[in-house]
Amino acid sequence: MMSLYLPDHARAQLEEMARAGYPLETCGLLIGMTRHDGSEVRRVAQARNLNQERAHDRYELDPQDFLQIDERARAEGFEVVGVWHSHPDHPAHPSETDRAGAWEGWAYVIVSVTSDGIAELRCWRLNSEQFVEEPIEPCPR
Amino acid sequence: MSSVTVRIPTPLRPFTGGADQVYVQARTVGEALTALGSAHSGVLERVMDPGGELRNFVNVYRGRDNVRSLNGLATPLAENDVISIVPAVAGGARKGKDRRLAELRANISQVTPGEAVRLQGKGAAVLDVREADEVAQGSPVGAYRLGRGYLELRAEEVLPDLGRTVLVLCATGARSLFAAEGLQRLGYRDVRNVTGGFARWKNDGLPFEIPRVLDVEARERYSRHLLMPEVGEAGQLKLLDSKVLLIGAGGLGSPAAYYLAAAGIGTIGIVDDDVVDRTNLQRQILHTDARVGAPKVESARQALEALNPSVRVVAHRLRLDSSNVEETFSGYDLIVDGSDNFPTRYLVNDACVKLGIANVHGAVYRFEGQVAVFWPAYNKRRGPCYRCLYPEPPPPELAPSCAEAGVLGILPGVIGLLEAVEAIKILLGVGEPLVGRMLYYDALRASFTELKLDPDPACRYCGEGVEFPGYVDYEKLCSVSNA
Repeated sequence: MMSLYLPDHARAQLEEMARAGYPLETCGLLIGMTRHDGSEVRRVAQARNLNQERAHDRYELDPQDFLQIDERARAEGFEVVGVWHSHPDHPAHPSETDRAGAWEGWAYVIVSVTSDGIAELRCWRLNSEQFVEEPIEPCPR
Repeated sequence: MSSVTVRIPTPLRPFTGGADQVYVQARTVGEALTALGSAHSGVLERVMDPGGELRNFVNVYRGRDNVRSLNGLATPLAENDVISIVPAVAGGARKGKDRRLAELRANISQVTPGEAVRLQGKGAAVLDVREADEVAQGSPVGAYRLGRGYLELRAEEVLPDLGRTVLVLCATGARSLFAAEGLQRLGYRDVRNVTGGFARWKNDGLPFEIPRVLDVEARERYSRHLLMPEVGEAGQLKLLDSKVLLIGAGGLGSPAAYYLAAAGIGTIGIVDDDVVDRTNLQRQILHTDARVGAPKVESARQALEALNPSVRVVAHRLRLDSSNVEETFSGYDLIVDGSDNFPTRYLVNDACVKLGIANVHGAVYRFEGQVAVFWPAYNKRRGPCYRCLYPEPPPPELAPSCAEAGVLGILPGVIGLLEAVEAIKILLGVGEPLVGRMLYYDALRASFTELKLDPDPACRYCGEGVEFPGYVDYEKLCSVSNA
């Protein structure tokens, strides 16, 4: 069973970025380590959303930001273990567009955010064409 | 050859044995990726498509520059360059729409357009649920066309067999999913969705046609007909294609012509050689006081064109006789007889028998009227012709015209409209026409009586195997007054 190990400080940071970006979609990367039983997040990074035209319901992470975040992670001995993005006013379920753009081997965290605040935060992993939900553990065991 | 570093993103590390970077020798980015692919199988197909181009969800950087903005895969490499493979990271919120479509896709079986054609050949129905303006651009050959709006309300009229396989088609295969679900709920047991819709149907080179549809103005004018399943768009198109000939623009012909024009009979021919007289206006409502003295066919044309300009009015300003009756009738789908004299009535009957078309007959006398359809060629049962009942005309003194007997002005209105109703029914192929029956109306008693009319097997005109005996000009044999 794969899990996402997401420490409380990283979760709080994700929620804050999703809230601050509302009603637009915000996105970024999860930095940490790949483990035999899932992915462990050490910190989270925000990236620019290149899709400005449909920023309320689409995101396209700026590859230049990816390069920089990835470079810094490598320098720290970490790696990009996943992607996070917000779903303003929509449940934290992956959409068809999410599925089409997803990579196996990464964790996908979706933060559902409304004008009232964070509704839910869930994690998904692509398993041969299909997204499977993955449990989130607050801290590494 | 340069020694370069290729940085591997996490999703591709399972193919590099977990290595986060790989060193290769190459002159260009393309060579570097190929070298990477040779060393670690599984990587290359995730980065390049079978045509050897970079996949669109992958970016490759040389240093800080996307190679797409440099020279693509031919971008040259120098010693110690660093190439990064950057997966495109994109997605978006799931709309309620997407969720519903995913549910529907999971519950409704899909067929390709090619498969749909094959199933159609085996008896399945292709149902095009797009809007009229889309269908006007083309629709599969043999498809049923029922827009999504009225789908559930009309489906059972169009497709009465709930066990028949129904293949639902829209433009791209999304709307049809909702339509397919609606049909399942109605009780259709085998409903499938045509994937890719008409767009793919056309792309795959499958047969389609440009169906005739009503234009916007006609759609508005005949909207009350379009709401009736017995008429609908197909029925209205049939009416617009129909050609009806009215014998006489008088008491019976006036109301019949008015309503047939209003109903959208495409071509209305009128035979009359008379001019409008003030005494006509008590009942002949096509005409006006201002047109007294004008030929009745011209007066009728003005009235009908004012009501419905899309109707073609053909004026036959002549008196029917044996020399012109067949030529005049040819090309018409049926005849509405509003004549007021026996010589004409017999010519109409005889020509209709010879041409095999329906003769919608009406007659009035003071407070009484009668309607029947004389049509021996009716395909559902053998009906009589007028001569089966009255082989020869009565002597003139027993056949008074309106001018002699008088008529309640409204009465031809009632009878003429019953004739018009029969005409429309026959043209649409709906209901039971008055074939083999006569409806007798008594205005004073306010009662309708139905009389059974039997064909005469020995009839000289419509009997089995008889040779057409020719037309008779009774006008020359007897003098009948004309009103």
